[in-house]
Amino acid sequence: MRERWPQRLLRALVVLLVVAWSGGPVALIVLSSFKPTPEIFSFPPSVVFEPTLEHYRTLVEKWPDFFATLANSAIIAVLATLLTVAASVLAGYVYSRYRGTAIAASALFMVAIRLLPPIVIILPLFPATSLLGVNDTYAVLVMLYATFFVSIGSMVLKTYIDGIPTELDEAARIDGAGELQILLRLIMPLAAPGMVAAAVFVFVYSWNEYLFAFVFTTTEAKTAPIVISEMMGSLTGVDWGLLFAAATTQLVPVTLFVIALQRFLVAGLTAGSVKG
Amino acid sequence: MRRFGLPQLLMLAPAQLLLVAFIAIPSVYVFWLSFTESSYGKEAVFVGLANYAGIWEDDAFWRALRNTLLVINVIVYGELLLSLALAAVFVQGIPFRGLVLAIILMPYAISEVVAVVMWKYMLDPNIGSIARALAALGLPDFAWATNPTHGLVLVCIISIWLHLPFTFIIVYAAMLAVPKELYEAAKIDGANGWQRFRHITVPGILGAVLVALIFRYILSFRLFSEVWLLTAGGPARQTEVLAVYLYKQAFTYANFGMGAATGWIMVVISGLVAAVYVVLLQRKGFRRDA
Repeated sequence: MRERWPQRLLRALVVLLVVAWSGGPVALIVLSSFKPTPEIFSFPPSVVFEPTLEHYRTLVEKWPDFFATLANSAIIAVLATLLTVAASVLAGYVYSRYRGTAIAASALFMVAIRLLPPIVIILPLFPATSLLGVNDTYAVLVMLYATFFVSIGSMVLKTYIDGIPTELDEAARIDGAGELQILLRLIMPLAAPGMVAAAVFVFVYSWNEYLFAFVFTTTEAKTAPIVISEMMGSLTGVDWGLLFAAATTQLVPVTLFVIALQRFLVAGLTAGSVKG
Repeated sequence: MRRFGLPQLLMLAPAQLLLVAFIAIPSVYVFWLSFTESSYGKEAVFVGLANYAGIWEDDAFWRALRNTLLVINVIVYGELLLSLALAAVFVQGIPFRGLVLAIILMPYAISEVVAVVMWKYMLDPNIGSIARALAALGLPDFAWATNPTHGLVLVCIISIWLHLPFTFIIVYAAMLAVPKELYEAAKIDGANGWQRFRHITVPGILGAVLVALIFRYILSFRLFSEVWLLTAGGPARQTEVLAVYLYKQAFTYANFGMGAATGWIMVVISGLVAAVYVVLLQRKGFRRDA
């Protein structure tokens, strides 16, 4: 059945609107980071302008710390991702293939404990980490980020591993493969898309997280979002160009990462909802 | 299905240890803390329910609770309605689907801090393009920094902007999964667009929508960064939400007991919300499978 043109026009309009809503603010920040300062304040926002790197130059010269915190963010996000995915694939495999009271209790505990708002645990953890002298280290953030994504990671991995026929494990077992071999050689390659999906969730979260980083870091392990918030809260007036340059540097890598892996992200989100 | 043994328990151990060490034990400790009075460098003294009583009588708490409930309902249902409308358009097929989806997903990758930077810039009364466009249209100022209602509206806008991708993907995937034959059959039977939506799409996606709702309720209940970075709860504590109230009790006023009690109130409310939805979900789930 052919559609009439008003329907098609309406649909195109909706698409345009949502593209402007979702992509507009990002494009504005990225473009503005290359605008000479006066253009940042022009209204309506200029689209054609002489691009400049002056704000990036200021960022490098006046905020060398920013790049150190960006490196911290990267290291913390990678370590948290590795830890989460490793713990999740182990747990997801057991939840998918084994039954028993202890297993069911463990799965229930995992889902239930996720309800707890993260802010609740900073109260006891703050003095505890000070006492242990691990405040302001990578380890604290890595562990915390992994903790808050290991539940969803395990559930996503369980869903993916459920999709691998158990006949394959049985055949491997008859051929003399042990548990570890089955997991490494059979399950992990076939569940790789699920592992990537879980990795995207936790990586994006760790790269962007604010609350824990704000509470548990001061200098050594400080992450990029914290520096950006400091630039925004500057008492001497906000240097918008600098702020846009920092924000662009922080957001471009992770946005490209999400777009490149969007297939896995979408599959992971739906695995957690439609099937679960 | 196989019976488990020690190796399987060891495989569960890393995930369980993280949850026990960083969530379970600290939260039990917070529970104890909520019955004590303590502060930096002071021994905790048992005070019974005094903290809970103190919170009960604190106007700032009730305002934070009211703000939280208002804001999360606007966020969660706003996202849901937008997602339903968008998904209904998208399932009919749209041009440049891959590109459009990539752009819709973009906010998922953006940190709360950067999102606040964006919206602060666009809505700055002096330099913001949206603020100046509103002024040019002769509309009253959107005074988010001084007017608490406007501040909370901006918190809702930023939150919806950040989390629309999550809700949209779940709803859209669920709509795509509804069998096409059902629509064809309904068309032959003479059902109109609304009837098809009401009797085929809605029952088909209900399970996924409820899951998305639970997730978003629980996650948005934690709302902290957007408020903290935008207004820090001001002016005059008018825009505080529960997480900000907790943070201030504990770290600004150095009253750990009150902070802990607020924490447990948050835990109980989250639990109740989740329980209601899990019950709903199971009921609908069974009906759908039947």
